[in-house]
Amino acid sequence: MNIRNIIQSIRNRLHPPEHLSDETVLGFLRVLEKAEKEEISCNELYDKLDEYVEREVNQKDAAQLMPLVRDHLDLCAECCEEYEALLDVLEKTSGH
Amino acid sequence: MATRTNEEWLSDLRAEGETRNTALEDLRTVIQKGLPYALSRWLSPDLPQFNSLVEEVTQETLLRVLDQLDTFEGRSQFTTWVHKIAVRIALTELRRKRWRDSSLDELTENEDVPPPPGLLADTHAGPETVAERTDMLARVRRIIEEELTERQRQALLLLGVQDMPMEDAARKLKTNRNALYKLLHDARLRLKNRLSVEDIHPHEVLALFEQK
Repeated sequence: MNIRNIIQSIRNRLHPPEHLSDETVLGFLRVLEKAEKEEISCNELYDKLDEYVEREVNQKDAAQLMPLVRDHLDLCAECCEEYEALLDVLEKTSGH
Repeated sequence: MATRTNEEWLSDLRAEGETRNTALEDLRTVIQKGLPYALSRWLSPDLPQFNSLVEEVTQETLLRVLDQLDTFEGRSQFTTWVHKIAVRIALTELRRKRWRDSSLDELTENEDVPPPPGLLADTHAGPETVAERTDMLARVRRIIEEELTERQRQALLLLGVQDMPMEDAARKLKTNRNALYKLLHDARLRLKNRLSVEDIHPHEVLALFEQK
């Protein structure tokens, strides 16, 4: 178990979470299912990457504006590597 | 080196003779200024191969830019778009050559979290019975309770399940939009990853309940 899990289980023992109804549990799953349907592919991400990184460097709100890009970057190591590399380039060459 | 607008870049690169040559040289300079930063996580600049890789990637990038000029949509600065192409070419090459220093690999928290013991079902039963539904709900409920903090649960409930507008949810949770956005995002991600580790697929579970 990592630290986060240990802390979480201590919290749960001291303050047991309110029982989630069946409908709520299903609701959480629907949220995830909807998000899955909206996921973008690596190719779609590549098309949007320049816009995303520029927005992030200039206004720091890229993740909110383009959440599907952010989601993909969280889950895809290769795309994330390209994102970080492009971010490095823009940050270091634009004087931000 | 003159700074160009997007339109000027496109026009100069589509022109002929000296105009085009100058634009290409300027673009080469732009690429070569940025590439070392892109490569820095992968390769030390002191390595002898570094400069030849930069040169190789720059050349390939210029060719690809000219070839794909018509696909530039103007959603970013032209130079950003060009840097993106250079990064793609560079990283593809680096992955192919496996030059990556594995000590630079960063393990994410998600990859590193094992499921708590005792949670994995012993059997994969068929989908039809009420008992199956109850059991599946119990498993998912337990996962939600173990994976998410109280705040994350609340965020997911208000924004995801109840569809409350962001402003209202932020006020209710006594926080701001940015923090709330992060809460929601982290909650969804943790849940998604944990369910994936346990081999539970949301659409399959939901299908169980939609069967008459």
